[in-house]
Amino acid sequence: MDSGPSKRRKLDHSQTTSENAAQSVAPRGPSRLRVFILEADDLLGDVSLDYAVALQGADDLLHKVKGSIEAIEPHESLPINDAARRLEKKHRIHVPFPEPRPAKDSNYKVSFAKPLQFNVVGSYVSKTMVKSQRDHAVDMVVVIPAEILQEKDHHDLRYFYKRAYFLAVISAGLQKEFKDTADLLFEHLNGNPLCPIVSIRPKKDGTEKEGETPSLLDYRIRVIPCFPYGFFPKTKLHLEAALIRKGYEEGNLEPTPFYNSTLTAEGSFLAYLKVLRHAEKKCAAFKKACILGRIWLQQRGFGGDISRGGFGHFEWAVLLALLLQGGESKGNATLSTSLSSTQLFKALIQFLSVTNLAEKPCVLGPGRADFGAPEDCGPVIYDSSRQHNIAFKMSPWSAALLLQQAKRTRSLLSDNAVDQFGPSFILKTDLPLHSFDLVARLNHLGTFDKVSETDPRGRLWQLGEAVYKNLRRAFSDEDYGDKARLIHIQTPDRPAWPLAESMSPLDDSALQVGILFHPVNMARTVDRGPSAGPSAEEKEECDAFRQFWGDKAELRRFERDGIHETLIWNSSSPFELCEEIIRYVLSLHLRIGTVEKDLTFYGNGLASLLPLRPTDASVFNATRKAFASFERDIRDLEDLPLHVRQLAPVCPELRQASVKLPTLGWSKSGPQPMETVISFEASGKWPESIAAIQRTKIAFLLMIGRLLEQSKAGELKTWLGLEDSACDTENLAFLDVVYESGASFRLRIHSDLEEMLLEREAKDKTLEQYLRTKAATSLARFRRLYTQLPLHTQTISTFVTRFPALSPTVRLLKHWFNSHKLSCHFTDEFIELIVLHVFISPYPWEAPSSASTGFYRALLFLARWDWRSDPLILDTGGDMAAAERHAIGTRMEAWRKIDPNMNHTVLFVATAQDPSGLAYTTLDGHAKPSKVAASRMTALAKSASKVVREQGVKLDPRRLFVPSVKDYDVLLHLNGKVGKSILKTYPTDDLDIGSEGAVKHSKFKNLDERTGQNPLPLAQHPADALLKQLNAAYSGTLAFFRGAAEDKTIGAIWNPQMQQRSFRVNLPTSYQPVFQVKGDGSDGGDDDKEEEQAVDVNREAIVAEIARIGGDLVEKIDVKGL
Amino acid sequence: MTPCPPTIGDFSVLPVSVPPVPSFPRSVLHYLYVRRNAPKIPTPDDERSLFLTNVPVDSTELHLRSLFTALAGAGRFESATFEDERKAPNSVSDAQPIHAARLLAAHGKKRKREDEEVERAREDAAARLPSTWSRPLRRSGSTAVVLLADEKSVEQVLKAVAKVHKTKKYPAWGAGLENVTGPKAVPPLGSAWLKAHNRLSYADKDVVQAAVDAFSELFGKREREAAEIAKRLRNEPDEDGFVTVTKGGRNAPAKMREAEEAKMKMMERAEKKKAEMTDFYQFQLRERKKEEQAELVKQFEEDRQRLSVMREKRGKFVPEA
Repeated sequence: MDSGPSKRRKLDHSQTTSENAAQSVAPRGPSRLRVFILEADDLLGDVSLDYAVALQGADDLLHKVKGSIEAIEPHESLPINDAARRLEKKHRIHVPFPEPRPAKDSNYKVSFAKPLQFNVVGSYVSKTMVKSQRDHAVDMVVVIPAEILQEKDHHDLRYFYKRAYFLAVISAGLQKEFKDTADLLFEHLNGNPLCPIVSIRPKKDGTEKEGETPSLLDYRIRVIPCFPYGFFPKTKLHLEAALIRKGYEEGNLEPTPFYNSTLTAEGSFLAYLKVLRHAEKKCAAFKKACILGRIWLQQRGFGGDISRGGFGHFEWAVLLALLLQGGESKGNATLSTSLSSTQLFKALIQFLSVTNLAEKPCVLGPGRADFGAPEDCGPVIYDSSRQHNIAFKMSPWSAALLLQQAKRTRSLLSDNAVDQFGPSFILKTDLPLHSFDLVARLNHLGTFDKVSETDPRGRLWQLGEAVYKNLRRAFSDEDYGDKARLIHIQTPDRPAWPLAESMSPLDDSALQVGILFHPVNMARTVDRGPSAGPSAEEKEECDAFRQFWGDKAELRRFERDGIHETLIWNSSSPFELCEEIIRYVLSLHLRIGTVEKDLTFYGNGLASLLPLRPTDASVFNATRKAFASFERDIRDLEDLPLHVRQLAPVCPELRQASVKLPTLGWSKSGPQPMETVISFEASGKWPESIAAIQRTKIAFLLMIGRLLEQSKAGELKTWLGLEDSACDTENLAFLDVVYESGASFRLRIHSDLEEMLLEREAKDKTLEQYLRTKAATSLARFRRLYTQLPLHTQTISTFVTRFPALSPTVRLLKHWFNSHKLSCHFTDEFIELIVLHVFISPYPWEAPSSASTGFYRALLFLARWDWRSDPLILDTGGDMAAAERHAIGTRMEAWRKIDPNMNHTVLFVATAQDPSGLAYTTLDGHAKPSKVAASRMTALAKSASKVVREQGVKLDPRRLFVPSVKDYDVLLHLNGKVGKSILKTYPTDDLDIGSEGAVKHSKFKNLDERTGQNPLPLAQHPADALLKQLNAAYSGTLAFFRGAAEDKTIGAIWNPQMQQRSFRVNLPTSYQPVFQVKGDGSDGGDDDKEEEQAVDVNREAIVAEIARIGGDLVEKIDVKGL
Repeated sequence: MTPCPPTIGDFSVLPVSVPPVPSFPRSVLHYLYVRRNAPKIPTPDDERSLFLTNVPVDSTELHLRSLFTALAGAGRFESATFEDERKAPNSVSDAQPIHAARLLAAHGKKRKREDEEVERAREDAAARLPSTWSRPLRRSGSTAVVLLADEKSVEQVLKAVAKVHKTKKYPAWGAGLENVTGPKAVPPLGSAWLKAHNRLSYADKDVVQAAVDAFSELFGKREREAAEIAKRLRNEPDEDGFVTVTKGGRNAPAKMREAEEAKMKMMERAEKKKAEMTDFYQFQLRERKKEEQAELVKQFEEDRQRLSVMREKRGKFVPEA
């Protein structure tokens, strides 16, 4: 989502210090900026490593490594293959030559000499390691002496062969020294297959002396060979050079940018070490900014490895250092060295969010800019002083992802209304299920044959590149289509391998493709290509279009819009559509997917659960239309004494948020009317008594019913229903209007005088406290029904049209609440607002573009929401003032002070319309949910999020919806058949006779007197009515848990506070007398007498009562421990 | 099963055996606690009534009748009143304008005459809406008052309760009620009960209309009465010589809307005046800025404090792995 509103501030503090100062004067509640800075400081303190403890012994180890390398005997040059064989025989070390390995008859010569120089580089020196890093490594650079290299070695991997041999010899020496105290492994530096290195990991067992605390970290030392700075002339290593020439004709050479950049990188370790040290000295906050950057990158899955995007801490630090020293082309520094760490962090985020590395090379420094990057050399961040492309390990997709992430963080940092810190640094944001709408695994077994020898990154990487190119063309074509916002390819990690073995081949592992949908475009089944009409033919584009899409492209004539190349897709849901396109494109261009096993798609499991169908929206729209015609019918009534001001829907069906689709035709149950409220023009005719107002409303309803039946005779039928009200001052009745066409509506009347009277009563100090509380409760109920619900319905309806994925996400989350038997404790509106929150403040992502990402993120939010101390504030209007938020927070604090045990107020959800925060989380004066239910929700969401995290894309979503019934003390199993039979009642049904003694209605339709009669609407669902009655009878004894009205089992938990107690007249529930075991002699006789009067909850009798209430509806009752 | 004490406090314990039902096939004991009725405000029938607590949720008068018949023989039981019925508000008591209610409470004639009370009950009944449940549930652990034929019956019942503990023959709950049909039958629970509820929720429109009409008639009557009293009070000073100010004087009270409008106008004027006066002088501006800065410092401190509290609660920041 783009940050639209103008109130959002600019981010880059470096350039706008004056503006910044001006802003800091304006009062606006708690400043997010300050909080962010303070929290970031805290974070820096929390993650910092105590080097002396954590990396104890690293220095000693480094010295030992240096010593043992220096002790290795040099030898004269030998033919490469002989030397390798000798090493294998003598030391059992397999020389890690890069692919392609030197030919059998190669006449390259290798030798060994004492290294020129040893140097420790990287974050160990700069002390920017953090605790939460993936792994901790101390890098030691070993410079190969110039005498064993030749100037032509930069051609054809010759340098890399020599380097590999050099490394193998070093490893042999190290192996001798550290055989018993450390594990030695080969690995690739940053996953670059050209650069093997050896890692030394000290063994944890008894090597430490007693008394010393063992070092905390499982660190390793990486020994990295490289060539002396400037050994190969930079001019020969520029990005366009073709350095792999073997097997190519002279005129046919391809540039080898990756190979060249690897070479320059090899030669510039020490140069960059200098750059970083310089920056550290110049800028005090540099290190801290690097640590922040490291955490930010890490939480987004970025790292220096090729498989992790090729943009890690090193790249971040170098980029920042270059910008501090002179990013502009004239050599002036882009960033000031006096900025603080958070300012530097924000500045770099800002820089990354406006720099599209994949599209346009980014040149830093004063040197020549005409380095001429070839077309497809990938992302470029060119350091012109060292003539090196820092971003050479990045792929086009990782550049796109980096850009996206930086943009998201930028918009997060400019949104002062939300928590900026957590999403920036704490949340893990690279889980595929949270980030992508569709994930495909490419289990490709080897039909991809366009492998180029000049790219050393291997076949799999090249396949990924080809897949990316094709998918990008298919999904992100800005003129035609633009169906995806992001395409990402995940290549597998390269694991380390033992010295004696050759590296394990990678090519059988799979690529993972993640797609983030464009929420609107992905659902389109007809894609319009370039115009092909006779008048406006775009010939070239048409050819290109046809060439890419093959047979799928056809010509179509569009109304008013001429003839276009067109793609017609068969699938209907966005997910299936995307799958269809991927399968088509990959099989057409890469012949992937022709075998069934090649491609597996993940992410659609949720939709089939409910099920969600793309046609659902049209059903909801039809319902909405039915409501519109109902409204017209009401407004057309001429004889109403008052003018209708508004007829507002208040039920989930009319805001596309009900789990089940509204039924507009015949159904197995009586009509279930959709709730609406009607308000009239202000009138002085309402009687000045609440009870009288309620009766007047009945008369009004009867009149509306009569008038409707007259004006639309034969089209509808009206029923007057009585509410289950406890006293005369509550709303007493409603009118159900059932249309022959199937739609049915429930009407309640709003009277403004009623609100005023209630308000007066609630504030009347002369009344007794209980009456005032009662009035306040009624007032809250009144406002909820007549003010907040209509507004809420309107809000949700608006957002549903803005976010296509909102409606299905709401329905999924409600289904989740249903499955876990929680929904009877939560209001519909609350669940809707949770989902809405995930959509309108989606940081660190954008608003979800499919139901599955929305659902997983909603679960994540529920798991992380600390509702004990944080209110949930939804800025539904988009213009909530900071002071208002502050006031909400203060209100919540006040509530928590009054009610620290959270008996009356539990969850706080405030919106622009309801700043009280309680309208959607209290009902009839009780917290809904109670603390127990809210805690259960959090616990369930936590475990669900954990499963999502652990299982990744392979998650079977059904697992998240399995209720655990073993937690309930009592389980009522309802009889489904009986349950269905009570869904339909007829006006002529005999009341006095029970079901057993009932007159059997004839089996034959034509003999049954009820045929042709209209069934009564459902005043409330029978299952709801039963639950309500049970709750009323056992309010303090049992807490009942149930999902949707169709749920066939009701769970219940005994209130743990109901225990043995002394007898009194007003018992809270059914108790039985108990004889207590008499206390030991020390107790006085008086105690004994009192103990005799103790009573305990008579659980059996209570269950028996429930069984009697349920009668034939309850099939079986399971009781734990009875 | 542990034996239960025959009395607890001043209550006698009456165990009732509850027959098993298919969904919970176990025979259990429910305990009623019985004593003589002694309410705080005595009534003439106290001598011949019993106070029961912990009645089962599905109790009806018929259930209690059968129970007491089993204990003390037929003809002893007269009626039962349950807790919720006793507490039920007199439905039409609110059926008067609020001002009228106050006036009546303060100055109205005390209604003592019996025929008026009967009349009032009749009016109430006419205005009452039909119930939506064929059989209400009692709150678990609630109470009831049982009216017996005479004082002797009370003695008999209490004796029978004491005897039950010796013989261990506990009376059964709802015995003899299953086979009764016709108007005397207990309305069933379960699905039929829920079905009946739905059916009863949609009462006959004419019945409802009649109730509403009766109510408005009553309401009108009360309003007129109140108007009369108000008129009387307007002319009569009370003991201290004050005349009560009442609604409906010579000048009609101001319309609500007019009052609101006037208020709005006043507020607007005040607002305008305030806007004119702020930042008028240089010193005002300076002071305002000073205040803002002080506020900023205060907020900063608040933020810091809040964060340190949060930090204590949360522990260290750990980026998720």
